[in-house]
Amino acid sequence: MSIRESCRIPTCRGSRAVVVRAGDMTEYQIDNLGQAAEAIRQVTADGQRLELCGAGTKRHLGRIASYDHLLDAGGMSGIIDYQPEELVLTLRAGTPMNVVEDALAGARQMLAFEPPSMTRILGEAQAGVRGTIGGLIATNISGPRRLTAGAARDYLLGFEAVSGRAEPFKAGGKVMKNVTGYDLSKLMCGSFGTLGVMDEITIKTLPAPETSCSLLVGADDFAGAVALIARVFASPHEPGASAILPAAIAAEEGVDSGSPFTAVIRLEGIEASVRDRLGHLQEMTGGDALAEAASVSLWQRIRDVQPLAEKPLDIWKVSCAPADAAKLLDSLDPRLNIRMIADWAGGLLWIASSKAQLGPALRKAVQELDSGFAMLFRDVGVTREKIEPLQPLSGGMYELHKRVKASFDPLGVLNYERMHQGI
Amino acid sequence: MLMPEPDQGVIDRRDEICRTLRQLVPADCVIDSRESMRAYDADGLSAYRQLPLAVVLPETVEQIAAVMKWCHQQGIKIVPRGAGTSLSGGALPLADAVLLGLGKFNRILEIDYDNRCVVAQPGVTNLAITKAVEADGFYYAPDPSSQIACSVGGNVAENSGGVHCLKYGLTTNNLLGIELVTIEGEILRLGGKHLDAGDYDLMGVMTGSEGLLGVVSEVTLRILQKPATARALLVGFEDTGDAGTAVGDIIAAGIIPAGMEMMDGLAIQAAEDFANAGYPREASALLIIELDGPEVEVDALIERVEAIVRKAGASSVRVSQSEEERNLFWAGRKSAFPAVGRISPDYLCMDGTIPRRRLPDMMRRMASLSQQYGLRVANVFHAGDGNLHPLILFDANQPGELERAEEFGADILRSCVEMGGVLTGEHGVGVEKRDLMTIQFTEDDLKQQQRLKCAFDPGHLLNPGKMFPQLHRCAELGRLHVHKGKLPHPDLPRF
Repeated sequence: MSIRESCRIPTCRGSRAVVVRAGDMTEYQIDNLGQAAEAIRQVTADGQRLELCGAGTKRHLGRIASYDHLLDAGGMSGIIDYQPEELVLTLRAGTPMNVVEDALAGARQMLAFEPPSMTRILGEAQAGVRGTIGGLIATNISGPRRLTAGAARDYLLGFEAVSGRAEPFKAGGKVMKNVTGYDLSKLMCGSFGTLGVMDEITIKTLPAPETSCSLLVGADDFAGAVALIARVFASPHEPGASAILPAAIAAEEGVDSGSPFTAVIRLEGIEASVRDRLGHLQEMTGGDALAEAASVSLWQRIRDVQPLAEKPLDIWKVSCAPADAAKLLDSLDPRLNIRMIADWAGGLLWIASSKAQLGPALRKAVQELDSGFAMLFRDVGVTREKIEPLQPLSGGMYELHKRVKASFDPLGVLNYERMHQGI
Repeated sequence: MLMPEPDQGVIDRRDEICRTLRQLVPADCVIDSRESMRAYDADGLSAYRQLPLAVVLPETVEQIAAVMKWCHQQGIKIVPRGAGTSLSGGALPLADAVLLGLGKFNRILEIDYDNRCVVAQPGVTNLAITKAVEADGFYYAPDPSSQIACSVGGNVAENSGGVHCLKYGLTTNNLLGIELVTIEGEILRLGGKHLDAGDYDLMGVMTGSEGLLGVVSEVTLRILQKPATARALLVGFEDTGDAGTAVGDIIAAGIIPAGMEMMDGLAIQAAEDFANAGYPREASALLIIELDGPEVEVDALIERVEAIVRKAGASSVRVSQSEEERNLFWAGRKSAFPAVGRISPDYLCMDGTIPRRRLPDMMRRMASLSQQYGLRVANVFHAGDGNLHPLILFDANQPGELERAEEFGADILRSCVEMGGVLTGEHGVGVEKRDLMTIQFTEDDLKQQQRLKCAFDPGHLLNPGKMFPQLHRCAELGRLHVHKGKLPHPDLPRF
């Protein structure tokens, strides 16, 4: 096994970082920030760069970049303090998600942003290895409830890290309401490990819903499905998530409404409330109910983009204003032969195709909207060599990003160019 | 409070600077007479006053950009200002800085029900957003107590909350996009009507940055469907610890109330004298717990909450049976600040957060500090999220009392940090808590924050003297000074 494939969760460590050498490449297996700082200093002294890695399940997100050495942060693992009645969980960034989920389930709580498990569509992770909470935060990936409950970035309350300057720093806190200093937690979310190596993080938790179910409503076209969902969201019946499935996928998932598109609307809460709201919405839309077990399983598959995972296709993640989604889809050449599901009331499109022209077409379509972005999420071939996986930044934004990166990591030691060229 | 030494060279150029500003914006958008500038010499932290170099009130984003670009080239400082309601001195002018007022940016640009958002200029008041959409059943969730006057741009700068943020989040959780003017005068758009993007979350960093990183010239806000109904419980406890336990038990039972407020004995007495809300005078702690949502849900949860608070040892429980009664429950809480102003010539309002389970410890600490300093303290809390507002009662006419009150306040904030909490839950750092930052943060922590500042504003021209401690720290500590019950904006609710 080459060192590039070995990013794993080590089992046993001493007080010093384990250093594994293979040829010119060194793997630093750290279990505290002091060791992270030491590794950064060593690598910086040689004018080289580090790839920062947890469980390695999201290494295929972002740009192809080459690194001189590997910083394996998966050893900084474990729950430090969990106070369910405070809605606060403090843990180490390398903690695997199954450990996090087990702890939360024990207190009937959840991460409200509904983190997906992307190992299946991203592939190439070792069997049985779950991603880490740190990796999830670093990529700011959220699931269906993002629409109403916010993203990963809305739940990180504070953290401790080492910057690319090998200096320790902390920001935020361990309480829910805090405006002391800049909100650097937001910046760490979705920064792909380019700003710092996190150890201790504090996350806001919420009670898990007691029950849930879904409503299935047919629509003649995509725009009609989006409009229907907008009407549901303009009612006081508190929908929590809503997806749109084309007929073929709806049929595969066993929720075919008989129309070209099926809107799936999820209701969560206490039993009496869910039943009451479902009744009102059925009256309003004429839709069919999907009972709890089937609903949970369907939403898990939507969350993890499973309907697009089976076939070896590139998968793009597109986010736009929900009301713009139909226009964006219409602008795509039918010859792209896309396979698609929509989430977030139409504001999130997962689009798969075997055609290399998909990326440029999506970038052009997004460009024509007031706001939106397109990201290559799964690359089954060599697409990343031809197109930037993340939406390129405009001039002023690019310069500001460069300066922000430099304020944490002036020499570009950490995950350099993982997101954008020169950053 | 020591502010940065004014640049005499800039002050000497005042006439020339005003002439140029009048070329960059319409002439009547520059205010430079001492009399007219008086209206801008302070914000809600009115213990500190300073006339600015000049006041500029641009009318277009291009004018903001032109002013900032020119000031940047000339090395002239800028203090941005929304409605001037900050309680921490975030908009305190500087003698050598242009005060950039966003008051003319007062239009709602778009109401977009299809995408459930509102696009507005930054000078629009918080409440005006809700007013614009409420006829269609929508509202804007963050509701700071000053919402009739505070601007949404200021809300972004301070990351404002409100009594409902336990369930609905702060400004940062309800903001979809901003237009930002950088110190170089560049106009950038961060976020928008889409939800995710693949860049650094600069909008997240801008939120709560207190005007130190850039000027917000437009906001896109998420609006929500108004809950079908809301009901509240008014719960008295003989023991403050039991009240704290009840709050934890409610959340542990999986219930997130729309609001959960606590008052201590002195605050209950003062509020009841003032508002006649029917509060239990014999109680040493009072909880107001509000639940909102579909009617069947609210009714079911009210029952559950009632059982929990009774089990926790409540001495009295009332459930609102009408909107009128619910509003009455809130009337006492919302008048707590003016009510305390009536029983004491002066008070300092503090703002810190602690982990909620430390509340009994904090109450004991405050009682012992109260004895030590010989000053009374009344407490109102946003109990759901551990945000404290102790009101320290004193008489500024008694020699030494102000100083004792300030020391008392500083000890409370130190205790907040010692107990695992933070210096400010919602009022911001500003100039008020600037010199306390070292209690919570190490030098390395602050250095990293200041480096980020440099990425946005290398010349330190935007709102200098705020948030970060100076080399020469003065002993004044975090507080809001209220004299004779007169808040800086006496007409504004503060709770």
